Amino acid sequence: MTANARRNTVRLTILLVLLLAAVLMGIRVGAVGLSLADIIGAFTGRADDATQSIVLGLRTPRVALAALCGSALALSGSTCQALLRNPLADPYILGISSGAAVGAVAAVVLARDTGPVWLLPAAAFAGSLGALALVLRIATIAGEGLDSRVLILAGVVVAALGNAIVLLFLTFADVESFRVAMFWMMGSLSGATWQRVGTLGVPLVAAGLILFGYARSLDTLAIGETTAAALGVRVERTKRICFILASLLAAVSVSVSGVVGFVGLVTPHAIRLLWGSQHRFLLPAAALLGATFLVIADLGARSIVRGAELPLGVVTALVGVPFFVVLLRRRDA
Amino acid sequence: MRAVFCCLAGLLSLTTATACGRDRGAPPPVPAPLLVVDDRGDTLRLRVPAARIISLVPSATESLIALGVANRVVGRTLYDVDPAVRAVPLIGTGQAPNLEAMLALRPDLVILWSSDKRGDVQAQLRRAGIATLAVSLQDTTDAFRALRLLGTATGTTGMATVLVDSLQRTFAATRASIAGQRAPRVFYVVFNNPPMTAGPRTFIGQILTLAGGDNIFADAATNWPTIPLEELVRRDPDVIVLPIGEMADSAVGRLGELPGWRDLRAVRRGQVVRIDANLASRPGPNMGRAATTLRDLLHPAQALR
Repeated sequence: MTANARRNTVRLTILLVLLLAAVLMGIRVGAVGLSLADIIGAFTGRADDATQSIVLGLRTPRVALAALCGSALALSGSTCQALLRNPLADPYILGISSGAAVGAVAAVVLARDTGPVWLLPAAAFAGSLGALALVLRIATIAGEGLDSRVLILAGVVVAALGNAIVLLFLTFADVESFRVAMFWMMGSLSGATWQRVGTLGVPLVAAGLILFGYARSLDTLAIGETTAAALGVRVERTKRICFILASLLAAVSVSVSGVVGFVGLVTPHAIRLLWGSQHRFLLPAAALLGATFLVIADLGARSIVRGAELPLGVVTALVGVPFFVVLLRRRDA
Repeated sequence: MRAVFCCLAGLLSLTTATACGRDRGAPPPVPAPLLVVDDRGDTLRLRVPAARIISLVPSATESLIALGVANRVVGRTLYDVDPAVRAVPLIGTGQAPNLEAMLALRPDLVILWSSDKRGDVQAQLRRAGIATLAVSLQDTTDAFRALRLLGTATGTTGMATVLVDSLQRTFAATRASIAGQRAPRVFYVVFNNPPMTAGPRTFIGQILTLAGGDNIFADAATNWPTIPLEELVRRDPDVIVLPIGEMADSAVGRLGELPGWRDLRAVRRGQVVRIDANLASRPGPNMGRAATTLRDLLHPAQALR
């Protein structure tokens, strides 16, 4: 094992331990104060019904979903930043979030009756796929390959269109639908179930492994497309596959948790600033850090204000911005 | 409370003034203007009782109907569905009414929420010279006061008194009918995701209590608190009251699928009772019926007697 590989193993182990600590804390702390004995009792089946339900039915799946969402968004963000060679790229850059919002808000406003539980996530997922297809189509019309600048512009345009459609729906929405739509758009993990954990977990593992396989190609693409081509990377094919995987990850995560900003943008930067940008290390490291960050942010969202829940995106930004500023200062020093 | 006293004091001084005038044998005085101090503290002066009224507050519309002046209502919101006003032109919703449509109906009085934070509807109406009456409706006392205010503004104070007395008698009778009974622990669903309920100082909280329910969030500090789902699971109510109309009817079946909710004792045992949202969530003349309906739902044995 080279010194570099050994160092990376140590770093990933540290991140894994941090994640485990965050998960344990996430299960320990919540709106209802439970003793450690209560929580262990819930896992061993010796607690009362309410405690069982709180720990196993609400808290644990929620912490798991937070970890998976954080991972998915961080992986997606790392990939988009490499492919677009743009530090501002995030998982939603190809119109995913606004497409999902169109789908979700349409489902809320147009459904005459309260639909089945899966209707909203399914509609959000369909909406984000629609937006992605539209962005790729626009980019293809504009030129032969996927030009980064055109992709970013197409993403911005489709996002603007999505926002317009959402506002149009909300103009005609009744109070109840308006409330539901607003809460959805603010992002929340309160709807977490084991089923949703599975819905996100399976594609996350699959996409994560494939992206990891492209780690070397991403390294060269991040330098430049000509360099990558010269080094034997099949540029167009790689870009297309990685964009689609990254966007699918963002789409599934948006459909189960609403739009959660900041994680996908900042986590990859944090890893790069701290420890370097080799994708074989960056991808797993960002996934672990993103998971830890979102578990902690969600813990804050449900326990900072007693008796209320803060929108998850509010907490990620409030916690993330100062943290990021400290990192930037450190690098300058 | 202050508004009630101001209003009563105003009325008293008016009656004495007219009485004195007559004693001196002066010519019959021009009818004194009606003075109403509304819940924003604004004084409303009406030369004659309001004759063309638009109510942006559904419970106030119901009060106007109960006061016997439904024929003076010239515009209604989407939520006013009583047959007595159904044929009247629509002016939109209470939150975002169409001002032009309202002005076209030439109202002489518009009733609106004192809690409307933007206040621009009221400002626009004032500029157009239309009197407004702002009502605040949080608890049953507010509802009684609003009924009396509307009675004064429409010249039907007698009827308003009759309505308030009758409501108070119904409340007392409902309370008496379940005296000594065990009160089931109740969660009232104002909204399901995130869960929101009615605090003890709201008309819903008060009616729930007098109908023999033990509100599991009677300790809430605010009127419409949002509840962490974990806390709801911990307090595990015996009965869940679900207003139907705001949330579609299938919401009852859906609670069995939602995380947290499906583990609640009330959901597992089918103790989710429905009440018409238009009855339960309007602090107006139908509060008495809301109280007896809730009593019958929470104490079925009493209902049969």
